[in-house]
Amino acid sequence: MNVELGDVTRRFGRTQAVDGVSLEIGTGVFGLLGPNGAGKTSLLRMMATVVPPSSGRIRLLGADPGAYGPRRQIRRGLGYVPQNLGFYPRFTVLEFVEYFALLKEVPTARVPRAVAAAVERVGLGDKATAKLRTLSGGMLRRVGIAQAIVNEPDLLLLDEPTAGLDPEQRVAFRALLRELGERATVVVSTHLVEDVGAACTRVALMDQGRIAFDGTPDELTARGAGTSAAGDAPLERGYSAVLAEVRS
Amino acid sequence: MTAAGRLLRLELRNNVMLWLLPVAGPLFWFVTFRPGLAYPPMWNLRATAMQTSSLAVFVPLVVGAAAWSGSREGRHGVTELLAGNARARWARQFGTWAATTCWAIIAYLTCVGVLYAVTAGTAAWGGPLWWPVAVGAASLPAFAALGFTAGALRPSRFTPAVVAIAAFLALEISANFIQGFDSHWQVSPLVANPWSLGADEGIATFYRYLPDLAIAQILFLAGLTAALMGLLGLPAGAGGSWLRRSATALTIVGALCAGTAVALAGTGHLDKNGMIAIPTLHNSAYDRPVPYTPVCSQTPIPVCVHPAYSRYLPAVVDGLAPVLTEVVGLPGAPVRVDQVAAAYEQGSDNDAGIARSGAAISGTPPVFNVLLPTQMAHRLSAEELTGEVRVGMARDLVQNLTGGGRGADDAQEAVTEAMARTSTLPPGSPVAEAARRFTALPAATRHAWLMAHLPALRAGQLTLAELP
Repeated sequence: MNVELGDVTRRFGRTQAVDGVSLEIGTGVFGLLGPNGAGKTSLLRMMATVVPPSSGRIRLLGADPGAYGPRRQIRRGLGYVPQNLGFYPRFTVLEFVEYFALLKEVPTARVPRAVAAAVERVGLGDKATAKLRTLSGGMLRRVGIAQAIVNEPDLLLLDEPTAGLDPEQRVAFRALLRELGERATVVVSTHLVEDVGAACTRVALMDQGRIAFDGTPDELTARGAGTSAAGDAPLERGYSAVLAEVRS
Repeated sequence: MTAAGRLLRLELRNNVMLWLLPVAGPLFWFVTFRPGLAYPPMWNLRATAMQTSSLAVFVPLVVGAAAWSGSREGRHGVTELLAGNARARWARQFGTWAATTCWAIIAYLTCVGVLYAVTAGTAAWGGPLWWPVAVGAASLPAFAALGFTAGALRPSRFTPAVVAIAAFLALEISANFIQGFDSHWQVSPLVANPWSLGADEGIATFYRYLPDLAIAQILFLAGLTAALMGLLGLPAGAGGSWLRRSATALTIVGALCAGTAVALAGTGHLDKNGMIAIPTLHNSAYDRPVPYTPVCSQTPIPVCVHPAYSRYLPAVVDGLAPVLTEVVGLPGAPVRVDQVAAAYEQGSDNDAGIARSGAAISGTPPVFNVLLPTQMAHRLSAEELTGEVRVGMARDLVQNLTGGGRGADDAQEAVTEAMARTSTLPPGSPVAEAARRFTALPAATRHAWLMAHLPALRAGQLTLAELP
């Protein structure tokens, strides 16, 4: 298992963002659904080793991120796209992705090829030398994904990765997710249930810091069948049904 | 290329200091280059003035650029994205700081190179003084570290401007705290030589440029750089325990170096050659005079100056010429006029006494030793220098022959006044009348009388009535 979480909690002041989450995630695309404030981003940030848990156990890629040495080792095999993706406007696409390749300690000799491959995979080959300040929001999102996959990560964490992408790009991105999920663990936090339905092999639904559902997309869909839960699609109805059940 | 080299190359391409270079050039021209060229083409003047004024140009720019770079992650909201990477934050920040510093040093050395190249084309003697350049260059990493640390700790659009202005004011104001020559504030990189003297023609010509203060300043700046960069490595997220321990050691060593340098600067004193000597750092080899071949005039009594001052020789000869013609061949008259080094003496507070080193007349046959007015940090035109030589140096030469000067009798005063062609006596007084009569004599008559009576006049054995 690339991700092992045992009773993980995270507090920010008086707010309990994550409350006793236990998960084991292996290779494949894992969707993390939930309403705003459910704790998805906090959970993802802990998996990205950006913040430590307040309590509980975390093992990522077989190592404990609590100590610096193993954490550094984990980070070499980690890709992360945060919800609020910042960028350096003066950098070109290639420079920005190369910068992250170097920060991820990709072997120097492999950097140029890895950067070019990552940029091509997100469909920005023709914009490789463009300054980031000249790119649209969707293109910047793809640059963010390129920097996350430049090290061919074993664990890829994506927080709202399809926000700002047009339908065509989202379709292409889902294909990329499926491709990446064949050899790595991809965790996608999203509001968009259609992304989960199209790309994920497993899905968890979070509410109020806890895991309310953990299963396949089909199982989630089944939870909504025959109910009057809100939603335009079967998966949405499953989502609404689980939430209604948890909150009742 | 290594990963660190690639990171540095990326940072160099995108560093804000690169965009400030077109600003640095004109500012350097206006603040340093143009005023520098207004000084005579002497290495001591231009190098010491350059050290002081160039920092006024580069410090605000470097501090501002470094603060902008340091605050970059916070301003662009990239902190979250960067936090999950393997390479330590300190290493990443080091690359950004290094790029800012590299551009600043390249710009600084280019500007100084142009000034030095122009000086090399016009200076009569000597070579570039590198210690002032070294202090200036060492200032840039330190001020870059200051700005970068401020930017990293307070990431905001306003931080660069605030820190740049604060650094500029602190630097300029710090020099005003210098009281006497044993002030700790001398560690400020603005100070190239005794602050109250400013750029001084009398230094680093007869003796080598004394690097004591420069060494203390470089130690201070290196310590400051290390301490500030070490500070960035102290927070928990900066890196691993090994890196943080190294950063702690770097901070402590840097602070110790900076503190030691401040203490050393406080023990400095004005040495007799006009530079700040620090006993702990002093190398006595610098006290030996620099050998040189003087440049001499083709006059009845040759006037010889240090080759660095050769441009002043015509004006000095013009000022002395009437007297030289008058005294040549007289008993006790010098066979040569030699320029000697200035001797500096520390006064109270910031006062410094500058005088001729050694006696006015020395050796056999006698040589008249002079101190050029320009060695006393006067900035004079050729005409002004000729005038000063006539009323000062020429009269001094005559007084040494006639026994004039302080405590002189009337006869000595009258002959001195007549030979020096000055008018320092009250008009109509008996002494002034005697001087006028003596001046009116034909030169040959005057010379013959002096040949016969100069020893008696010098001994104070003649009265005013015995003058022709």
